[in-house]
Amino acid sequence: MLSLRSIEKSYPLAGGQLPVLKGIDLIIEQGEMVAIMGSSGSGKSTLLNVLGLLDNFDAGSYHLDDVDMSELSERQAARYRSRFLGFVFQSFNLIAFKSALENVALPLFYQKIPRRERQKRALAMLERMGIADRAHHLPSELSGGQKQRVAMARALITTPRVILADEPTGALDSVTSNEVMDVLREVNSTGITVIIVTHEADIAARCDRTIRLKDGRIIEDGNSSEVVEPTAHGISPIS
Amino acid sequence: MIFSRELWIEIGHTVIANPLRTALTGLSVGLGIFILVVMQGLGFGLQNGVQQDFGDEASNSLWIRTNRTTLPFRGRQANRSIELRNADKEILTEKLFETPLHSARRMLWGSTIQAENEEGRFAVVGVNEDYDQLESIPLVSGRWLHQEDVAQSAKVCVIGQTIVDDLFKKKNPIGEYIRLRNVTFRVIGTFSRSGSRWTNSMALIPITTLQRVFEGADQVGRVIVSTGDRTVEEASAMASMADGALRTRHAVHPDDQRAVRVEDNNEEFAMYQRIFMGIRLFIWVIGGFTLFAGAIGVANIMSIVVKERTVEIGVRKALGATSSSIVILIVVEAIALTSISGILGMIAGVLTLEFVAPFAEHDYFSNPAVNLNVTITALGVLVLSGALSGLAPALRAVRIRPIEALRYE
Ligand SMILES: Nc1ncnc2c1ncn2[C@@H]1O[C@H](COP(=O)(O)OP(=O)(O)OP(=O)(O)O)[C@@H](O)[C@H]1O
Ligand SMILES: [Mg+2]
Repeated sequence: MLSLRSIEKSYPLAGGQLPVLKGIDLIIEQGEMVAIMGSSGSGKSTLLNVLGLLDNFDAGSYHLDDVDMSELSERQAARYRSRFLGFVFQSFNLIAFKSALENVALPLFYQKIPRRERQKRALAMLERMGIADRAHHLPSELSGGQKQRVAMARALITTPRVILADEPTGALDSVTSNEVMDVLREVNSTGITVIIVTHEADIAARCDRTIRLKDGRIIEDGNSSEVVEPTAHGISPIS
Repeated sequence: MIFSRELWIEIGHTVIANPLRTALTGLSVGLGIFILVVMQGLGFGLQNGVQQDFGDEASNSLWIRTNRTTLPFRGRQANRSIELRNADKEILTEKLFETPLHSARRMLWGSTIQAENEEGRFAVVGVNEDYDQLESIPLVSGRWLHQEDVAQSAKVCVIGQTIVDDLFKKKNPIGEYIRLRNVTFRVIGTFSRSGSRWTNSMALIPITTLQRVFEGADQVGRVIVSTGDRTVEEASAMASMADGALRTRHAVHPDDQRAVRVEDNNEEFAMYQRIFMGIRLFIWVIGGFTLFAGAIGVANIMSIVVKERTVEIGVRKALGATSSSIVILIVVEAIALTSISGILGMIAGVLTLEFVAPFAEHDYFSNPAVNLNVTITALGVLVLSGALSGLAPALRAVRIRPIEALRYE
């Protein structure tokens, strides 16, 4: 369970502070599939990064399974990222000089799992993503969809509790986007919490729950089918 | 952790995956070490050559010789012959000063030497038992002259390699009898000084034997005395003492440069020492600058590399890497890269010297050996600077929050 209480965060700005998160209260239960929506600059990525322990926050509290995340040392935070969290980025963030297989295996390196075992599990994960035949290709030799599958395989290889995806389909066409969503749904069906930041209503529609941010506040939180309703909230169809 | 195989695989991977960076680092370190090794080697060769040229004579000795006078003095005409005799040598070495080693050296040029079937003309040289040490001549076989040989005017000789080669061919000359100027001597030893045909054409016999058998007189030719462990100043004082005593004994004008000459090898040696110091200093300065340039090069590359890898660092952190694991990765990689390149540069330098040495053999240049201490120190400096210059930006990169690293442009 992820639990945020009155989370505030601002970025230092020339001549002051830019408040980005202005008191976020949010509880996400294990196994939920949640979309975070909102216009550009509303604080979606910032929120996701706080959830992913990639960024700190100024005030409020964040508990992951009743453990206070603000108390963690740098090393403990790394351990949480390694054991509990998986990331999928819009720009894939694959390591350019490592093959697909090595990229996928890398998180296991930080869990001190032996090389042979890493490779075996990485290959199995690529198989599950349907791109085992690309295992020895470099990221530059892969299509966007394939890259995102590698990235998802990498996020999933440690069987995390939570997958955090910041616009995972932002760089992909609609067919590929759908395939990525298929994977994420399937992942979610195994009990992994999936949190997706997205601009796209179709993507949000494939989640169970949608949270809408505006100016660093949650203005809506509910069943996707209700929240995403474009006409009711005037969401721009442009991503 | 540092020695885990996993880490090395990870490092090997990045090193191979970034050939340009690897090549650049390798070049700046390898070239630095290469230049250093070659410079050191050449400098050492120069020093070696000069030293060898000089080293024919022990560095701590006085060479005392006399000649005809050039100036009249105390009612005596110029052009008077001054001879050093047993009594002179005795006064010098037994009354005037303490000396651990001393020898006469009287040469009879163009002496016919006959062995069983061969004969040739060489130099017969009368010396004392210390002569080999004063001249540092290497013995090849048999033994040197002993004190008893000199005391008993024994008819024994120690012959140079040229004589051995000319008169004995492949035969072992030790124990054989040869005729020097028609007098039979037993060969007790042979010697050889590499590259010196002049020295190797000498047959050394006791000075006493030379005086009694060939001359029936008591001239000693030159007198060579060791200055022992005296300082340069003390040796110089010893030289003037000898000079003064001989001038008084033989009534030689104080300004007569030719009649009495005392050459002080200490001074000459000190001068060479200064030259060597100069050479060494030069090498150090050049080497220092080379190292400095190499270190700056490495530091530069490392800081660029770490900057370039900031996003990768962010990704690794998102995937669960601790800061220390990333710092170790970068630093060990830097160390591995610099040491491997350094060692390659060192090998290239050594090979170059090996290859060049035979072509560069010269009076003032020989055996350009590599100074391993200096090279390893230099390597250490470069590796350390590689490690430090990797460490600083790595620490900076891991201190920032993961998201900042991920967003880095
Ligand atoms: N590192 C930063 N320093 C300063 N300001 C920042 C920083 N990161 C984000 N911001 C600002 O914080 C606000 C929220 O940014 P955030 O990235 O969370 O928005 P977002 O909802 O993800 O937007 P988008 O849909 O464009 O990705 C924006 O106004 C942005 O300019
Ligand atoms: Mg964003």
